[in-house]
Amino acid sequence: MGSQMYSEADPVRNCQSADAKSDPAQSYAIRISAVSKCFRIYDRPQDRLKQSLVARFARLVGREDRRYFREFWAVRDVSLDVRRGETLGIIGRNGSGKSTLLQMICGTLTPSAGSIEVYGRVAALLELGSGFNPEFTGRENVHLNAMVLGLTQAQVDERFDAIVEFADIGEFIDQPVKTYSSGMYVRLAFAVIAHVDADILVIDEALSVGDVFFTQKCMRFLRKFQETGTVVFVSHDAAAVTNLCNRAALLDSGRLAMVGDAKSVCEAYHASGYEQSLRPARKTAAPSEKTVAPKVVKPKITPVSEMNVFRFDPERSRFGSGAATIAGAALADSEGHPLFRIVGGEAVRLVVEVDIHARLHSPIVGFMLKDRLGQALFGDNTYLAYERDPVPVEPGDRICAEFEFVMPILQQGHYSVDLAVADGTYLEHEQADWLHDGLIIESHTSSVSTGLVGIPFQNIRLFRGRRTT
Amino acid sequence: MNPHARHSASPNAMFASLIANRRLVAQLTRREVVSRYRGSIAGLAWSFFNPLLMLGIYTFVFSTVFKARWGVEAEESRAGFAVILFVGVMLHGLLAECITKAPGLILNNVSYVKKVVFPLEILPWVAVGSALFHAAISLGVLLLAQLVLGHAIPWTALLFPLVLLPLVLVAAGFSWLLAATSVYIRDIGMITGLFATILLFLAPVFYPLSALPDEYHWLMLLNPLTFIIEQSRLVLLSGNVPDWQGLGVFFVVALSFAWIGFWWFQRTRNGFADVL
Repeated sequence: MGSQMYSEADPVRNCQSADAKSDPAQSYAIRISAVSKCFRIYDRPQDRLKQSLVARFARLVGREDRRYFREFWAVRDVSLDVRRGETLGIIGRNGSGKSTLLQMICGTLTPSAGSIEVYGRVAALLELGSGFNPEFTGRENVHLNAMVLGLTQAQVDERFDAIVEFADIGEFIDQPVKTYSSGMYVRLAFAVIAHVDADILVIDEALSVGDVFFTQKCMRFLRKFQETGTVVFVSHDAAAVTNLCNRAALLDSGRLAMVGDAKSVCEAYHASGYEQSLRPARKTAAPSEKTVAPKVVKPKITPVSEMNVFRFDPERSRFGSGAATIAGAALADSEGHPLFRIVGGEAVRLVVEVDIHARLHSPIVGFMLKDRLGQALFGDNTYLAYERDPVPVEPGDRICAEFEFVMPILQQGHYSVDLAVADGTYLEHEQADWLHDGLIIESHTSSVSTGLVGIPFQNIRLFRGRRTT
Repeated sequence: MNPHARHSASPNAMFASLIANRRLVAQLTRREVVSRYRGSIAGLAWSFFNPLLMLGIYTFVFSTVFKARWGVEAEESRAGFAVILFVGVMLHGLLAECITKAPGLILNNVSYVKKVVFPLEILPWVAVGSALFHAAISLGVLLLAQLVLGHAIPWTALLFPLVLLPLVLVAAGFSWLLAATSVYIRDIGMITGLFATILLFLAPVFYPLSALPDEYHWLMLLNPLTFIIEQSRLVLLSGNVPDWQGLGVFFVVALSFAWIGFWWFQRTRNGFADVL
């Protein structure tokens, strides 16, 4: 990675210094200049006192000062600018200094050298939960936290219900926070920072704690926030960073190893990871002997992606005019029997039932399957198939839409299906009902080696010689 | 905006942050007071019963068991003794609460240090506010006791807040000083209780200043409580105006002390997150 250190040739860096002459408050959200953080590690607590008293005294009388501590540089000479409105991912292995850098951005840790400037209101979700006092109830913590983040008492009162609804932790709002599960803790913390009108959002891989519905809710909020606000997102999950961020910075042992567009930084991160894990293997691998006959390697191709499909849940959040409502949805086999366990590569049929409450000239029913980051993987709607002869419906009708497709192989994790019904054309329509996360699919085991989804492969071969066709 | 700008340690900042964060201080203080009695059956009533019971116990022990007498007044009643004593207990309670709580102010609120940008310098004000609440209840008990005993409450009692103000500054100064220092030196929490007890017995709480031999007077006058207790008795019980000149000097000294505490707190707080 050393060769990828900041250099004059880095175009991103150069273009930043070019427009830096304009008002920094206009173009930058965060400016980090040559920041380092050194932790002093004392073996015994009293050494800390000795250091501050004895060392100072020694310096005073001109003697050489003795050190009672060892130094640990968590972050070393990092310079980084975050432009207004962009989403920057900070990626790196555990212990690479990501969290320390984040804490310095938030102002909870003071840099040992260098300076950080922040333009705008920062709301942070660091590790597990923000500044909650464990003895206080959720309600009290919401009030205090929101006030610390800059809301007035009146604003907190006004938004309190929205915060509680977002957190969705029920009766626990009046219990001390120390009784919360880690999931509830994060839900409440996220609910608060989602309602404080922050300019800059700092998130430290806390989103994975909640359940699938909450994760989807957070991702919806985050994607909406990205339209106007600045986000700094820290993770060691390259997929999440590629997905959410415009730019990314790679930290390696406290140093900034690379900064650039999210995709290439994540690739470099991956490469460096593989490099390390492969290095010993490479040494031992002896060059293989030549064989004459083409050797066909036939790995296990049968899809090994088992998925559970949960029952349709109409109680999820939704929006729309209400002219129609999604009444049900299920995955079924080609004969129409509902499926609750499917495997990747299986032909399935998604059946969506819609209740009609108002007259619709040309209803369109659609679905979208999203991964845990809220990223749409695939989906479709009935518009094109019925473009020429729409099916007008009357109030009281129930209509049904069916989508037959081959279920791809899904990476392990939770997936959710949004279901929607609208009236009009592809370009111009009125949303009658949009149900978030109506169906949940949980994938257990997976043979996807790369990519967001896998498709069932027919055959995979490896041999010496020329291509056969 | 630099989140790491040096925290202002000027005397003005000491009060400016209190005013800027007054709602937060009020909210935290209310919570602090309420939470102490949360879960108990009598609830907030304990803040009233506690001083009342203390008053009873002290009166019994010192007037009946030890047969202590206050000064020269001949026909001094047991209840009169109690009232004199209670002024001292009340003021000591105020300072002692701040001193004993101070070491935990930062140590028990780690999340305010590490997870959010919190105006940490207001935490001592919260402790002082909560102590003031309890002192106010005690004052109510005291005035009530006086009425019950048939003593009139002198008009000079209105001057009491002026007498109390310097003590509040001293309490805030101690809070900043001890709260910041005990982050680095945890042992401080072990000795504040002892220190508070010393303050109690080296003040004219249970005995008059005159009961002490002259050569020990200086020891008593080092105690910030001594002067304030004497002056409080003047305005609350005897109906005399306080020693304005002395009070003025004390106020200036108390203000300086509070500022030293504040300055120390602001200068050391950047290291809190590293240590906790």
